[in-house]
Amino acid sequence: MAKQLIDQFAATLPADKRASVYQSTKSTHEKRTKMLFDQFAEPNRLRALAGEIKQHVLEHLDTLLPAVEAKLQANGARVHWAATAEAACTAVLRIMQARGATKMVKAKTMVSEEIALAPFLEKHGIEALETDLGEFIVQIDHDHPSHIVRPIIHKNRREIATSFERHGLGAYNDDPQTITRRARQFLRQKYLQADVGLTGANFVSAESGRIVLVTNEGNSRFSLAAPPCHIVLVGIEKLVPRDRDLGLLLNLLARSATAQQLTVYTEFISGPKSAAQPDGPEEMHVIFVDNGRTEVLASECREILRCIRCGACMNVCPVYRQVSGHAYRSVYPGPVGAVLSPLLAGKKFPELADLPKASSLCGACHEVCPVNIPIPDLLLRLRDKAKREGARRAAAGTPPMGAWALLASQPAAWKAALFGSKIINYLPTKLLPVPPLRAWEDTRALPEMRGGEFRKWMKGRKKS
Amino acid sequence: MLNAERKPVTGKRVQLMATCLCDAIYDDVGRATVEVLEHAGCTVDFPEGQTCCGQPAFNGGDWAAARKVVRHAVRTFTGEDPVILPSGSCAAMLFHGASLAFEHEPDRVEVEALGRRTWELIDFLVNGLGITTWPGRFDAKIALHRSCHTRGTESIPAALTLLRSIPGVEVVEFGEVEQCCGFGGTFSVSFPNISTAMGTLKLAHLRAAQPDLLASVDMSCLMHLGGLAAHEGKPVKIMHVAQILRDALKHP
Amino acid sequence: MSSDRDTILARVHGALAPLAERAPLPEWDLELVHMRTIQPATDLWALFAERLKLVNGTPLSAVADLVALLEQGRWRRGYCDPALWPQFKDAFPAIFTVETAFDRTRVDDYDFGITAATGAIAETGTLVLTDQGTSSRLAALAPWVHVAVLRREQIHADISAALAVMPADPNIVWVTGPSKTADVEGILIEGVHGPGVQVALLV
Repeated sequence: MAKQLIDQFAATLPADKRASVYQSTKSTHEKRTKMLFDQFAEPNRLRALAGEIKQHVLEHLDTLLPAVEAKLQANGARVHWAATAEAACTAVLRIMQARGATKMVKAKTMVSEEIALAPFLEKHGIEALETDLGEFIVQIDHDHPSHIVRPIIHKNRREIATSFERHGLGAYNDDPQTITRRARQFLRQKYLQADVGLTGANFVSAESGRIVLVTNEGNSRFSLAAPPCHIVLVGIEKLVPRDRDLGLLLNLLARSATAQQLTVYTEFISGPKSAAQPDGPEEMHVIFVDNGRTEVLASECREILRCIRCGACMNVCPVYRQVSGHAYRSVYPGPVGAVLSPLLAGKKFPELADLPKASSLCGACHEVCPVNIPIPDLLLRLRDKAKREGARRAAAGTPPMGAWALLASQPAAWKAALFGSKIINYLPTKLLPVPPLRAWEDTRALPEMRGGEFRKWMKGRKKS
Repeated sequence: MLNAERKPVTGKRVQLMATCLCDAIYDDVGRATVEVLEHAGCTVDFPEGQTCCGQPAFNGGDWAAARKVVRHAVRTFTGEDPVILPSGSCAAMLFHGASLAFEHEPDRVEVEALGRRTWELIDFLVNGLGITTWPGRFDAKIALHRSCHTRGTESIPAALTLLRSIPGVEVVEFGEVEQCCGFGGTFSVSFPNISTAMGTLKLAHLRAAQPDLLASVDMSCLMHLGGLAAHEGKPVKIMHVAQILRDALKHP
Repeated sequence: MSSDRDTILARVHGALAPLAERAPLPEWDLELVHMRTIQPATDLWALFAERLKLVNGTPLSAVADLVALLEQGRWRRGYCDPALWPQFKDAFPAIFTVETAFDRTRVDDYDFGITAATGAIAETGTLVLTDQGTSSRLAALAPWVHVAVLRREQIHADISAALAVMPADPNIVWVTGPSKTADVEGILIEGVHGPGVQVALLV
């Protein structure tokens, strides 16, 4: 029988990786919950409200996008649009070529991962260096991030020390402080030499055109202090209606992502540097990226576009904790990724159609989501879509339901099956080549079948 | 969720949907459910034509099959009386899942009407009938597993209210209560490695609290956890909350 | 790129057209995001200082304390905003070398940078820096110690109050403690790319 890829991945994940993913997701989740409930009277009301605000944005993108474009232009930024990943990469390249630029520093942006910007630029002779410590390590290892907030949640300090040594960043030393200092020294020269600083955007205020960026390390600040040009890559869904709404969203984002009241650096950028300022970009470009988002907007899963990329759903997810991010074979892992990645895949949906199956539908993700996305409902809708489209990867391991439904809509057949089920008690089940039975019995004892006993008892009481 | 839109319960006549697990395996939970409801003064009807709530197909992604089964439930549980299930999961299928599966169906209204009178048993006792204490005696340290499909409902607070009111009962705390046991219906057999790992973790937390027994308002979680423990050769005692309530009545 | 613009906006229109109704924008009460653990403060500096310490920041209310801190850390070479230096220079003994122009070709020659804050947020211990108010973006970021000079009347009670009076400025930065990471095994390390010591100096 075909097996589920993510379950297979889980079976091969080394125990130490599983342990480190489990420990750090658990601890972040617990701190997040304590902080929200200690500090706010009604954290769940805040989540619901933030969800309504983001839903409003999604359902008004037709008016908000042109409005924010006009604001940004008035603020002195140049606005570009990219319908596809290729168009987004090309837009970045053109901006760089027009300036004769060959060196870029990147502050963490998931969109650049999504459009595979760094490999594209490298092919065109441009150095695109990651500056977030975790992303930098991922880059020198030719690896992929496994968590949207903690990219190297799957790596330990010994692996990192080895990578640093190999990359010429000093003799082997696995002290986290030393690792961090070495990255500091190496990267600050890179910021100073760079022609362009590229960032993402956590929010864009439609009211003021301010781009809001949050980082703890200060890499986005450096990317906006040293290079003379700033490029922002932003998904079209990242808008917020008003500046005041940021008060709600920033409070929720920092607590949900890293259990902080506020991320260390929250930047509000509305244009190139002012004339008197000696440092910072004289030119600013904002590229609005679609790359499948409008298709998601047209689907019944549009709520997933509310996501503010905090990672709380992966931190609480019992499946993510067992498998880590790489199991999801896509840029966005965990519960949000299990919805978003197959949808963004467009025509390649069948390749990722198994992701929505990798959930016990426990609902913990919905319970922690700062924008209240009903993730389990969306996973279910995608399961239905996969079934209707005949996606084989989704079907693997799920017993066929057609015959069962027939049985369950005919009472006489159902009752007969109930009584008949007792035969299982007398069969050598451990020898039966029935895949679901095998999968159950490999680790779990079968209960005794007592089909029909309850009905017999009910009948008996009626008579007496 | 439609359970937020329920009308107050006025009559004492209820319809029991036993669920396929009680029908096929856990008949004593079915009996306990009837006896507990009768103790609460209810008259319990058991429509003979009942089968299943449709959840296996719904969660499995075969919504066409699920709708077939839900339609059967709509035809079977007629009238206005509350429909009571000894399962948070099957109840949620009817008051939430079914409304998703019928979003674009002509008979959505009938399906949602059933959802609005569907109750998980313990939620019904406490929030439908207004019972807040339970008589009798039951001497045990109980670990109450929060079955996931009761999230966002009043079932777990209700179960804690009733259990804590019973003389002799001690409800013990354990770690990571919000984490799933790993059952997840067909997930348990299509993702056996992950399902088992989740269950093992849950068992470790539960055992650390050294309870006499493991309770839930869903037998599906208990079947998985009990099965894991038995397979390990270290069985744990499992009981539905209804069985505890029923057994408490035996010791006035 | 105009064709991509038209394509995207047409797709957005197409996606939203079938919606029978659209989600309204909720009004919400700013009280909802007030931290209940924080009592309304009359002395916003005291609250700010307490909250800044919680994020490992260093509140100081006298220039002499700043000099002592820098001496103790052996941070002797630095930068100061030329507009601020006249009021501080008498307090700095001769062992200090302080420049009033930041030379980006030797960023590591500066142990500290002193620049002006434009505001602060008491409930979170946050400093507000603006582009127009900061004499050099790099000087406020590259040295190990950053000293933000703050006046009492610039302190806002909370995030919402600060958002309500955002100045027209191309680059407003809210700074809540020193630069940090937990990327390596979840262990907190301060001073990643930005300052390892974040001082707020009240004048």
